Amino acid sequence: MAAADSPSAALRRRDLCSRGIRLAGKMRADVVDLLDAYVEQQGLDASASVAAVEGVPQAAVERWDEQTGTQRLLENLAAYRAFRALLAQMLEEQREQLGEADAGLGRALAAVLLQVSAFAYHLEELLRLESRGIPGEEEEEEEDGLPPPPRLSLFEQKLRGLGVLRELAQWAVRSVRDLRQLAKPSPATGTAPGLAESP
Amino acid sequence: DSHIQYERVGADVTMKCGSMDWDAAVTWTANGTDIDESHLNGSYLILKNVDLSQSGQYSCYEGSSWHLKYQTSLRVGTPPKEPVLMCRSNNYPKGFYCSWHLPTPTYIPNSFNISVIHGTKDMVCEKDAVPKNRCHIRYLQLFSTVKYKVTLTVTNPLGKNFTTLTFDEFAIVKPDPPESVVAKPVPNNPRRLEVSWQNPSSWPDPDSFPLKFFLRYRPLILDQWQHVELSDGTSHTITDAYAGKEYIIQVAAKDNDIGTWSDWSVAVHATPWTEEPKHLTTEAQITETTSASTSSFMAPPTTKICDKGAVVGS
Repeated sequence: MAAADSPSAALRRRDLCSRGIRLAGKMRADVVDLLDAYVEQQGLDASASVAAVEGVPQAAVERWDEQTGTQRLLENLAAYRAFRALLAQMLEEQREQLGEADAGLGRALAAVLLQVSAFAYHLEELLRLESRGIPGEEEEEEEDGLPPPPRLSLFEQKLRGLGVLRELAQWAVRSVRDLRQLAKPSPATGTAPGLAESP
Repeated sequence: DSHIQYERVGADVTMKCGSMDWDAAVTWTANGTDIDESHLNGSYLILKNVDLSQSGQYSCYEGSSWHLKYQTSLRVGTPPKEPVLMCRSNNYPKGFYCSWHLPTPTYIPNSFNISVIHGTKDMVCEKDAVPKNRCHIRYLQLFSTVKYKVTLTVTNPLGKNFTTLTFDEFAIVKPDPPESVVAKPVPNNPRRLEVSWQNPSSWPDPDSFPLKFFLRYRPLILDQWQHVELSDGTSHTITDAYAGKEYIIQVAAKDNDIGTWSDWSVAVHATPWTEEPKHLTTEAQITETTSASTSSFMAPPTTKICDKGAVVGS
């Protein structure tokens, strides 16, 4: 259960939430721009349907409004950690394929990667505020226990990249909504509820 | 036997008199009126290049016994054209609705069937009692990258057609216009107008899904709108209004993060505050007022002392 909610903790959470909302909003705008550039430069079809790519966290969620604050934060954190790894891999592949030929896309990818890392850290801060244990990255990898992904063809890499950026754009919107939920004052106390209770 | 017969506009129609032979003596009526023999070929009724006005009740009687041998209700119409389909979420994140209409009438009854697929999942589109050409779908999932595919099929006895829409969850989010827009002058402020409004009542959770607003205003004497975007709150004070000019004001809304702008709200009118004109009453008061005001009147800086009309303050 989260520590009883002192006013200072509530204020701190609200501050972290509103900063997180701005960060996620900016990240989303940059991801959407990156997505447009990526589609164009990789010669992809913007309206192409991309099946769910293994290892890419799906933003889609059912009964979103019933999630507790802790669920929201833990799911967000797991997602952005996964995106951090996926974007790093994309960046690596990008350099291998194009070298410096396409530095612009590489820079944009690196900028988004930086924002994703910053946002993941921000989520950890929120969890720490609730003296909530932060799942270690190793724990997650063990939980996944997934073998390293098979080597993809160039086209498969491009499609996966499209899937990654699309999901990340959706996650950024979801994160804004999640953080708004967390920042909402609870009807009773007027302060933001402890994470475990907040719908 | 009696039944309904559907025929396309422009078709040639032949009606037999039930089981009567071709050469039997018969009488045909249309809505109770005898049909001229020129339309008969033996006992068959021939209608060339039918039009809408020829819809009606056609009856065939045996010779002179007036025994009804055949009756049909002829309905002249057209097969359906590709229906116009529109889907929109004005109550995000609850769900979205789809509504449709035919670009041209068919003059005969049509039936509509809609299918909504999200990825591989079939979704239920709950039909509204009114309006009939509309149904609602509840979002089972939010923040999905999987597209929705909506197919509307329209069928009538003369043909069939369909339309398909494919869209993302976010793309169809469009709130209803803001409501209860009010504009008021601000006392003692000849250049201000206070505008307030409310979130559209159809928007279910403005706290979690806040709306931002777009305000446009102009004096009636001008065509050019002025715009201001407001990311929170449901009121704004216009501070650059032309004094004494009547203004027209409208507001639009959009989800803070996704979708498109609503239509403009209903227009409201307001005129900034103006000073009450001083009333001239009896002669004495006028004289008194004039002498009082002359002593305080200062010639405007732009007026030259030697100007003919200049009034010099004492």
